[in-house]
Amino acid sequence: MKTTGVIFFPAFDWAISPTHPEREERLLYTRDQLFEEGIMDMPGVTEYHPRLATEKDVSRVHFCVPDIESRVTTAHMVSAGCALVMADAFMNKEVRNAFAIIRPPGHHAMTVVHGNRGFCDINNEAVMVEYLRRTYGVKRLAIVDTDVHHGDGTQEIFWHDPDVLFISFHQDGRTLYPGSGFVEEMGGPLAYGTTINIPMAPKTTDEGIHYIMDNLVMPILDEFKPEIVINSAGQDNHYSDPLANMSFTAQGYAVLNQKLKPDIAVLEGGYSIETALPYVNMGIIMAMAGIDFSNLQEPDYDPSRFKESSRNRAYIKSLVEHQLAAFRGREAVVDKHRKEGREFWGSSRSIFYDTEYLQEEQRLDLRMCPTCCGFRRISSGCAHRSGRNYSVECIAIPAACCPDCVSRGLEEYSSLKKKKSGDHIYLQDRVNDDYRTFESKAGEETVV
Amino acid sequence: MNDALIGIDVGGTYTDGVLFSDGSVVHSVKHRTDEDDLEGTLLLILDDLLAHRRAKDVRRIVLSTTLVTNLLATGRGERTALILLPGKGLPNSAYDISPDTYFLKGWIDFRGRQIEAPDPKEIEDTLKKIHASGIERIAIAGKFSNRNDSHEKMLKKTAESLYPHMDVCTSNEISGRLNFPRRAVTCYYTAMTVRDWNRFADDMEAAIRARAPHCELHILKADGGTTTLAASRKRPCETVFSGPAASTMGTLALSREELNAVSIDIGGTTSDISLLIEGQPLYASRGALIAGHLTHVSSFAVSSIPLGGDSAVYTTDGKLEIGPMRLGPAACFGGEVPTVTDAFNIMNALGLGNAQASHAALSRVAQGLQVPLDSLCRSIAGEVVERLAQSIKDMFRLWEDEPAYKVWEVVHKREFHLHQVIGIGAAAPAVVPMLAERMKVPHFLHRLSPVANALGAAVARPTLAVEVHVDTGRETYSGSPGGLSGKVDKRNYQLKDARELAQACLKQVCADRGLADYADDAQIYSEEQFNVIRGWEQEGKLFDIGIQISPGFIREFKGVEN
Ligand SMILES: [Zn+2]
Ligand SMILES: [Zn+2]
Repeated sequence: MKTTGVIFFPAFDWAISPTHPEREERLLYTRDQLFEEGIMDMPGVTEYHPRLATEKDVSRVHFCVPDIESRVTTAHMVSAGCALVMADAFMNKEVRNAFAIIRPPGHHAMTVVHGNRGFCDINNEAVMVEYLRRTYGVKRLAIVDTDVHHGDGTQEIFWHDPDVLFISFHQDGRTLYPGSGFVEEMGGPLAYGTTINIPMAPKTTDEGIHYIMDNLVMPILDEFKPEIVINSAGQDNHYSDPLANMSFTAQGYAVLNQKLKPDIAVLEGGYSIETALPYVNMGIIMAMAGIDFSNLQEPDYDPSRFKESSRNRAYIKSLVEHQLAAFRGREAVVDKHRKEGREFWGSSRSIFYDTEYLQEEQRLDLRMCPTCCGFRRISSGCAHRSGRNYSVECIAIPAACCPDCVSRGLEEYSSLKKKKSGDHIYLQDRVNDDYRTFESKAGEETVV
Repeated sequence: MNDALIGIDVGGTYTDGVLFSDGSVVHSVKHRTDEDDLEGTLLLILDDLLAHRRAKDVRRIVLSTTLVTNLLATGRGERTALILLPGKGLPNSAYDISPDTYFLKGWIDFRGRQIEAPDPKEIEDTLKKIHASGIERIAIAGKFSNRNDSHEKMLKKTAESLYPHMDVCTSNEISGRLNFPRRAVTCYYTAMTVRDWNRFADDMEAAIRARAPHCELHILKADGGTTTLAASRKRPCETVFSGPAASTMGTLALSREELNAVSIDIGGTTSDISLLIEGQPLYASRGALIAGHLTHVSSFAVSSIPLGGDSAVYTTDGKLEIGPMRLGPAACFGGEVPTVTDAFNIMNALGLGNAQASHAALSRVAQGLQVPLDSLCRSIAGEVVERLAQSIKDMFRLWEDEPAYKVWEVVHKREFHLHQVIGIGAAAPAVVPMLAERMKVPHFLHRLSPVANALGAAVARPTLAVEVHVDTGRETYSGSPGGLSGKVDKRNYQLKDARELAQACLKQVCADRGLADYADDAQIYSEEQFNVIRGWEQEGKLFDIGIQISPGFIREFKGVEN
């Protein structure tokens, strides 16, 4: 019998600050509950041990400014490493599915990293996706982000990637951090429709979320046919979460995972450390391991407490219809973009880092390749807490790039080096698994 | 002077005894074990040993027995009811422990808060049902009873007042560790064996008192330490698997070095491998596995592989096979079929028994395979050593790959650096030197290794682990074993206060168990401290402190001459 792999890494010796939600205590009661239940002893569950992610694992996804060592805490390296342990266990067929109960989280971390965003340094799921692609040749994946906050980091990382379907349901960005994840955010010009956002009204219940699961998420997954489904498993939709306002229960989370059947689930947020996390984590393990969870509930659970309003029901129904149609029409939109015959597609924006109050200014140019998803050039500037102002250039060549894009991307990197434009020039060449940093002032190149 | 120590280890096949005094083994005995009369076997050995020293010179007798192990393994324990108070969580079907299991109301959470009270009517009805079915032993286990034992205590009180003739055990008295199913199983096994064990204890006590009225009487536990016979009466489960513990403590007693070592006991058909880390035995991280269930009994991690000195060497379809079965003793000792021992005998010219017979028996196999005899012996030895080496490496990995819960533990990943291979058991002298060479470390063999088990029992010191959980927010603490609990003052409570509390708890348990002399040997082995933050304010602190007298030797033991 194949089991469910579980890795539990509570980082009991790490906190952002002593009273921060990301503190040592966060998974303490989850530890108590899981260990007291003895669920790791059950025949359907196998416990794994953590490891550190490597700099190369991180470089496949991120441009850390100025470098990984000074930007990423060891705790984040372990957390990402745990996701990789689960990926290995799953791909080597040691387990039937896997759940990484880890902290710190990752889904707010974007491609360029100037600091911590929404408690995240690096993106655990994205690091895992690129590892799965590189190590096991996986091509098509889906990430369903079930955290109450919009998974803006994961969305941004896969925005131009038509082979990664990113679905996020979350509390409406007008009422909650990070203030994004609206219906019209559908992906870049060549990957339109593989980003699907489902903003929900505050107080949405199990019923509402399950309507979305049944009528939108599952049909889209059926049509997209990913090789692997990842649950970016935040637990802050819970009715007791102090940072958000939803009405989801432990039972609701268990049923969600029973429906979604994720191959790999990775814990994201969730800050109701006594009332929600111990029970929700139990529920997810039980659902994934096929253990009957009907006897699971929170101490203060009352089935009659949360009722979906008819107004919200109607809103959800129309939202689901709209997004399903948008998803189904995605290829036509991409075709249209390609036929416009532009050489590059440019866009500019500001990115706010809430943990350290940083403001990044970014410009991105995507090559509108006629055959592939195109390579990207990102110019980014940000004044760090140290007072130092960084201006960097990044070349990102995705694994699915055509040979023409690869050679143009490499040419662009060489010419940037020659011009010494920016303090650091980075190359992320996933086709050749080659990651480099060029320091303009010293004229030195380092290979990861 | 009364400095003599006696250790007796009852094994499945043989029972060994040693009389140890003034740094040397004065006398040792070996007898076949009579499974149906363990007491008879024990006394036979004891009388033999006492013939060599006046009884009043014997300071301590330590027994290692298979009584409880056998009762549980063969399912001969008496019918026992298990009352569970699991609250919400896993389905009731997850607890497949006793055919007589009753699920009752009562729910406590991880902070020890009562979520749902037990129902007195339901309790009485259940007890009535249990009584009506003729059951006289009850085990009671509640989820998180280690954080709040009030439900278990209330049930026990009710049961004892209504049915005073019944044996009632509660799980919080047995262990305070997290893991409710393991606590329930351990409590169930305790209730099941407590009466038989006490009968045995009564008999042994009477028999030994009649011979040596003033000597201390201890029992060897699975964790390699001893406990007084009196203290064992409440915790018979701790006496399981004491045999491998006796052997490992024996090898440690003989080598006396705080090294990273492999102790390998090569018997007739199996080899038992255990690890010593800086001289401390490695424990099974998930507790002893008894009759298919994990328990809270701490026992050594022992890997048993079906390969020993008597493993037969033969061919099937023109292929060389080694073991796992035994078809008699080695040819050099009069067997018909060549064995692993024969191969080592020839190859290393060990001169064991009738070496000619080893030669003849293996030559037949060599002819069948059409290979020269010396190359056959080399491949047999190579295969044996390789299999053992592989199992040893698997043990290293077991230890290295323990789950880690702190960043520090992941960054400082454990790596096992082997210093020595220690061999015991009949076939060890043949196999261990080559195995050690393969592992690129020195080997250690002692002339007393055949009685290492009994020696280990004789000189092992008592062990005891106490765990204390302090919740200053709730102003409570709970300690185990033994269901300690009480109030703490929330104001300015520090780690050092929690340490002192743990020390005090240990002293108290030591006193209760007649181990007061050893309380000073205790050391803190685990420490956790968490701030409880609610709404950006500190509401309290949580501490978990583990303190123990770890496996070791009684003070007067200073080593054995080789
Ligand atoms: Zn969140
Ligand atoms: Zn291209």
